[in-house]
Amino acid sequence: MNDHDLDTLFAQARTPTPADEGAAGRFLSGQQRRRTRQRNIRAGWISTLLASAAAVAGLTVLRPAPELPASAAYGVYQSAWGDGW
Amino acid sequence: MRTLVLGFPVLGLPVLGLPVLGLLALSGTAGASDADDLLSALKQARTLEARGTVEVTVLFPPRESPTKSAKALPRVPFRPGLLARNFGVSRMGQETVAGRRTSRFELIPKNSQAARWTLWIDQEWNIPLAYQESFPDGTPARRAMFQKVNAQPARIQVSVPVPPEGLRAALLSALPGLRLPAGIQPTEVKSRPGGGLEISLTDGVNVFALVTSPRGVRAAPGIASRRVGAGFVWLVGNLPQSALDQALAKVIRVNTAGLETLRGTFLKVDASNVQNTPDSR
Repeated sequence: MNDHDLDTLFAQARTPTPADEGAAGRFLSGQQRRRTRQRNIRAGWISTLLASAAAVAGLTVLRPAPELPASAAYGVYQSAWGDGW
Repeated sequence: MRTLVLGFPVLGLPVLGLPVLGLLALSGTAGASDADDLLSALKQARTLEARGTVEVTVLFPPRESPTKSAKALPRVPFRPGLLARNFGVSRMGQETVAGRRTSRFELIPKNSQAARWTLWIDQEWNIPLAYQESFPDGTPARRAMFQKVNAQPARIQVSVPVPPEGLRAALLSALPGLRLPAGIQPTEVKSRPGGGLEISLTDGVNVFALVTSPRGVRAAPGIASRRVGAGFVWLVGNLPQSALDQALAKVIRVNTAGLETLRGTFLKVDASNVQNTPDSR
């Protein structure tokens, strides 16, 4: 292969073909889809995390405190009797 | 009538049969006289106290070691006015306690669900040497009785705690719908460390505790607990469970602002040297 052949080959390689344009479009739209999907995944995790935190906080605040043992009531009663008993 | 001692033993003590107690309760003259004699002894106990060895047994509320020893009788917050109004008093005869002659008085509550009491009053010193609180069925709930008594009683001085003025009205206003069992009055209000209030109640002899609290309390004998709004109300005492539950069943809200102004207005009694004293209410 001489210089002329090589020049011709390089010229052909530099010239965009319809197939090349399609490939670029496919790459760009794929890239867009991948970015959107990553954003959605990130947003999903944050939403899940926030929802979990809210649920834990809600349970902590709104859940009725556990009952005190009967000894708490008996202690008050005994205190009402006064010392010595 | 004063020498009648029938009976079946309870904790080794003879107890009169109920029919005889009923007859005695119907005997107005004897009852009034007996009540006066008992109130006189309780008044005497403001200034005179027997010392020695006392066996103290408490079966309600339940505790790990129900019996202990003391040098003097524990305090019973007698209130003569309420006692006379809520109990029939009958002198049932003579008995010996720790080698000393005593008169035994039976206190039968007019509210048949309340606990009854027996007091043994030293005939010479005219002060108590023993008490017993019994459930309505006659089984003992608490008892304190001298086993040995010193030769001479000790002089004491007891201050008289007076309930804050307007306490009952403030309580009923703070807990609308509260239905206190017949004859029971509030005597004291205290703050609770974790929030809420403790209100002491009495029928003249028996003691009850009413509590407002942000938390409920586990069900157990002698305890009623009911959620009201964001908090809870408890009632603790020696009454049937149904009576405790009914007392709280209609409480519609809790607003203790009026009660909090009345808390802690009591005179404090030096418990190491003094027996709680009856007052005139």
